[in-house]
Parts: sequence; structure tokens; C-alpha cells
Amino acid sequence: MRTSMRERVGQTIIVFLLALLCISVIYPFTYMLAVSLNVGSDAAKGGVYLWPREFTLYNYEVVLGNSVIQHAYLITISRTIVGTFVGLLITLLAAYGLSYRQLPFRKSLLGYVLITMLFSGGLIPLYIQLNHLSLLNSFWVYIIPSAFSAWNMFVMMKFIQGIPEALIESAEIDGANPVRILFVIIMPLSKPMLAAIGLFTAVGHWNDWFSGAFYVSDQNLIPVQTFLQQLLSAQDISTVLGSNNNQEALARGTMLSNVTLMSIKMATVMVSALPILCVYPFLQKYFVKGVLIGSVKG
Amino acid sequence: MIERLAKYRWQYVMILPGAILLLLFSYIPMVGIQVAFKDFHIGSTMWSSEWVGLENFSFLQDEQFWIVVKNTIYIAILKFVFGFPAPIILALLINEVKNNKYKRFVQSVSYLPHFFSWIVVAYILQSLLTLDGGLVNQLIEKLGGDSIFFLGSTEWFRPMIVVSGLWKEVGWNTILYLAAITTIDPQLYEAARVEGAGRLAQIRNITLPGIMPTISIVLILSMPGLIAVGMDQIYPLMNPANQPVADVLDTYILRNGLQQGYFGMATAVGLLSSVISLVLVLCTNQMARKFNGEGLW
Repeated sequence: MRTSMRERVGQTIIVFLLALLCISVIYPFTYMLAVSLNVGSDAAKGGVYLWPREFTLYNYEVVLGNSVIQHAYLITISRTIVGTFVGLLITLLAAYGLSYRQLPFRKSLLGYVLITMLFSGGLIPLYIQLNHLSLLNSFWVYIIPSAFSAWNMFVMMKFIQGIPEALIESAEIDGANPVRILFVIIMPLSKPMLAAIGLFTAVGHWNDWFSGAFYVSDQNLIPVQTFLQQLLSAQDISTVLGSNNNQEALARGTMLSNVTLMSIKMATVMVSALPILCVYPFLQKYFVKGVLIGSVKG
Repeated sequence: MIERLAKYRWQYVMILPGAILLLLFSYIPMVGIQVAFKDFHIGSTMWSSEWVGLENFSFLQDEQFWIVVKNTIYIAILKFVFGFPAPIILALLINEVKNNKYKRFVQSVSYLPHFFSWIVVAYILQSLLTLDGGLVNQLIEKLGGDSIFFLGSTEWFRPMIVVSGLWKEVGWNTILYLAAITTIDPQLYEAARVEGAGRLAQIRNITLPGIMPTISIVLILSMPGLIAVGMDQIYPLMNPANQPVADVLDTYILRNGLQQGYFGMATAVGLLSSVISLVLVLCTNQMARKFNGEGLW
């Protein structure tokens, strides 16, 4: 009986420790949500911990009604959709082509891909090349340079090689060309893998702030995460919301005086994080599957 | 031969777009490293610039550069020392939970931060730690202490990076270990129980040896990225106040290259760090060959 007592104590301690971990993850979002739903000038007095004291949606009205933020959102959504689609397509095409073990020069081609994973020219030569190709200050800088992922290519290739060759051979006998085989046989069988890699690619696009901050100077092209990065170090609201909002601000001056930089920041960051929080519970299993697919080294 | 190539023409066509992208965005930048030995200005091309020998490497005599190197190594070591064992410990803890619903809940919650950008993490840190109304400082003041300027402090910068890095990735990094634990034969545990081994003894003698191969693979794979200390994480949190400890190789390259236009010098620093990464990769591959009898590729 002594051991079972000890085990129960141990179990309680573990449950408690893990509960602390969960709180450390959930609480910051609760806190930011509470501050963003609170009247800014009131929240600044402190004491808002779990839920708003003076509830308002005004912070969100300001954020969602702001044309700069709306535009940044449009950019983020476009680049996520286009970038994921183009990235999956180009990488899958290469992975499928290279999955043919008999392909002449296959080894050299794999080496050609592998070398780029081991060594890179670095940031500045890439920047010079982007400049040379006139990709700087263009929407396509978000899509094209990252469209082919060597890592994903290898994961996809390993997955495709796991598909029974008999299926492919019988299609070949029926006279199907490789492109047809890819779309009719390989893609339907690769759905879980494509879902997982597609999700990772999409999250990567959604979260990328770097390209927007350094490859783009036109404010009309920055995505939400870059906007957030600029807002992070902003000292007052006007620098953020821009001049096009000034008239509106004057018109609603009384209301705006209740808005603080912090409340606006919290509302903006919640707006950027909410889509991920919302889809995460439904897609979690695909993500986990994705990691495990990627980890099986052949 | 030509017949064989023709037979695979579709495959080559499919590989082509990816191959061109690699050429444009990986191989040409590698050739662009020559800028490290040239006097390059935006507007000229990397070919037309003049050779200047090792002039761009004069940063090696710059005191600031060596501070940056020290900072990079310091943060890399701290992140490794805390970041490597933490997911193993967490996976062992999660595995001990008897209630399956709670177990799944903990897993779901702990994976979540992985999906937020470092910018969101920076906001969380700001909302908790800022001087004017940050939660932690509110509490400190309530308890009668003086507010601490966490975000602009040289002492608190490294703990902040390590803790927020752990917070974001520790749960996610348990996935491989938890998957490895499920492959351990349950009969081993039964046999141990019959022998009277307690939970701790079971962890030490069955679970840990069972996930050892996974631990060694993760260790090997983490080596090459060691000096890429996470500019994504550091840059948003860096400010003039904490720069003396926050400045790492990547931020140094960004500042000198993209912000101040010293392209040649920044390329030279980048070359140095690429070479170090390459050496780390090659060493790890040798190690992997020795221990696992099989290289990484």
C-alpha cells in the first residue's frame, strides 16, 4: 500500500506541474483578450487580470476599421493562399519526379538539392539577387523565393516512394503519362501528407514578418505580422494608424481619448492570433501527423 | 542514353521549376558571396564591382564584432542547455499522467504556442513585462517593490530569450519523444512491476533507454542550427538599451548590411557564419556515422 500512496502523491505533483504549464500558455492570451476588451484609459490604471472591467469593443472597432490594418490583412491572406498553393505544387512536382529510382542523374539531382540545405550564400547575397530580379518591393517576394522547400521535397519524396509501385506500373501499362499518374494516383493517396505540409507552409506564411520588414518598403505591401512588428516599438498611436485616419480620429476625438497604445496593440495582436486559435483545435492532428511523417528517415 | 533521358522527359519537366528556383535563390547567392571581397553598392551588379581583397574583413579587428560573437555563443549555449533536456522531461511527465483526457489536453495546449509568430511572443512579453502597466510590474509594485525595466535591461535579456523560447517550443518538441515512448513494449513495464520496480526505476531503466535513439537523433539534428540563435526571436525584442547583450551575428549582419549599406562587410560576416554552420553539419554527420553507423544523408 505504501507504493500506491507514493504513486498517488507523485501523480498529483505531475498533474499540478502540467496544469501550471497549461496556465502559462493560456493565461497570456486571456490577459491580452481582457485588456483588448477593456476601455484603454481604464486598463492603464492596472488591475485588469482575467476579464475586462469596463467592457468595450471600441479597440476592435478602431483596429478593424483601420485601412492600413485591413490592407495588411488582405496581403497576409493572399500570400498565405497563393504561397501555400504554389509552394505545394512546385515542391510536389519535383518530389514526384525525383521519386523515380531509375531516373538518370537522380543522384546528382538529389545532391543539387541537398547542397542547398547544407550551405547558403547568406542574407546579403540573397538580398542582392532579389534586387537584381526586381523582386524587392513586389508581392511576389513573398511567394517565389520560398516556393521550393528542399526539406519538404525530401519528406514528400520519401512518402511517395512508400506508395506501392504496382499501382503506378499498372497505370503506366494503361498508357497514363507521369503527369496523369501524379494527379490521379499519387495525389489522392498523399492527402494526409499534403494536408500536413500544406498546413505548415500556410502557418509559415501567416507568421512571417521578416520578408515584409526587409524586402519591402512600400507600406501597401506589408503583411499583418510586419505591421505588428512596426507597432511593437511604436511610441504613440498616430504613428501607427497613419494620417488617413486623422479626420476620423478628430471626429471621434472623445472616444479616441479613451484608447491607449496598449489597448490598440492588444486588440491588433488578438486579431492576428485569433484565426490560428480558431483553426488549431480542428487541425492539430494533421500537424502532429506531419511531424511524424517528416521524422521517418529512410 | 538519349532514349532513356527521353523516356523520363516528363519527370525532368516536373523537376525543372524547383531546380530553377534553387539556382536563382540558392546557387546564385552562393556565387554572390564574392561580394565579400568586393566594393559593392546597390545599383551595380556583383560582377561589375571592384575587387578589394580582404578589406571587408576588417570587422575582425572591430571590438563590437567580438562582443557579437560572444553574445551569439552565450545565447546558443543557454538555449541548448535548457532547450534540449526540457522536452525530454516534459514528455516523461506527460507520459506518467494516468487520465487520458487530461493527457491529451496538456498535449494540445502545450503544442499551441509553436503556431504563433515570434512577434506575438514579443507582444506577450511586452504586455506582461512593460514598465507602464505591465502585469508583472503591477504585481511587484503591489508587493511593495520597485518596477523593473525588463525589456530594456541587459541582465534580464538572456533569461527572457531562454524562457520565451522554452515556452514557445517545449511542448512541440515533445512530439517525437512521446511517439517514441508509445513504441516501447508494455510487457517490459509489466515485468518491471512484477520485480517490484517503482515508477522512477521504470523511467530510468525502461523509458529512457527506450527513447535514447530518438534523443541522439534530435541531438544530432539540432547541432547544425546551433549558432542560428533565432533572429526571428531576438530582433523584435532588441532595443538600444539591451543591445550590448542582444546583438548576435544575424542582427549584426542585418544592421550593417541592409540598414547601413555595408554590403561587402555584411556578406563577409555572413560567409563566416555559413562556414561555421557547414563545419558543424559536417562534424555532426561524422559523429552520426560513428555512433549510428549511418550518416545524415
